[in-house]
Amino acid sequence: MPPPAYRALKLCSNGGGFEALPLDSKPIDLPRVRVALERAGVAVVDARVMLIASLEPETTISRSGRLLFKTADERAARRALERFLALLGSTGPEPPRPASRPT
Amino acid sequence: MARGVMLMSGGIDSPVALHYLLRQGHEMYAVHLDNRPFTDDSPLEKIVDHLRLLRERYAQAIPLYVLPHGPTQVTLMRSTDRHVGCVLCRRFMWRGAERIAERERATFLATGEALGQVASQTLSNMRSATASVQLPIVRPLIGFDKAEIEAVAKEIGTYGISTRPGVCCQAVPDKPATRTDLVQILREEERVDVEQILDDCVRRAVVM
Repeated sequence: MPPPAYRALKLCSNGGGFEALPLDSKPIDLPRVRVALERAGVAVVDARVMLIASLEPETTISRSGRLLFKTADERAARRALERFLALLGSTGPEPPRPASRPT
Repeated sequence: MARGVMLMSGGIDSPVALHYLLRQGHEMYAVHLDNRPFTDDSPLEKIVDHLRLLRERYAQAIPLYVLPHGPTQVTLMRSTDRHVGCVLCRRFMWRGAERIAERERATFLATGEALGQVASQTLSNMRSATASVQLPIVRPLIGFDKAEIEAVAKEIGTYGISTRPGVCCQAVPDKPATRTDLVQILREEERVDVEQILDDCVRRAVVM
């Protein structure tokens, strides 16, 4: 499965989490993502239109490829993104931008 | 004075609405539909802090019932039209609150809804959502604008709690319906076992 590439992380509007948006708008194959995560021992809640993975921090994976990391700690969010991409065999995100601002 | 059940979200509005009902002398219970894992821990933490302030201010116990709503959201997402997800979600919130009202012999439900603030708070959506319950619903803030509500929230000390960082509800669809009709909603709801969902939800309620 070709994993998506991501833009840099940004703080979400309520300031409680970081989100990562895919570079292209192609939907991702959630059932296959779920299998890949569960094979790696990551617990997943499957709501069909999204997955919620215990990636430390807990992460919401939307069908659009959008990821939401439930932490206000950018480093923790970055670690979770890297782990997610490693599990899916991705090339990794773009380098971070200088500052994260609420959207 | 009457006994009522207030739906609490952790936002700015519900503690202000509760404040007005307490000020009138009603005996109030609080109900929170816990949306984890579609949110983080912050809504519940905020409600606990809101209630701490209001309990002290009005010398009332205000028991808080926390009902697990995440499993309901999963079922709705898997089985129903995402477009009307917010209305279906609200219907289950109201039903959960009504079950607690029955348990506590409360005679009304209450909410911090004000018209036109968010997509789910249009008149047609409110009607579709509240048709799921029988008890009267009190909306102390229905005609308030946001600035008025915020001013009261600041005055009673809940504003700073409500505006702490938190993750938005991830179960909200990209394009939530702003106009729904009850026939459409009932048709969607036939896809799930309403009573089973409610029984599971209320059985796992925690009182704080």
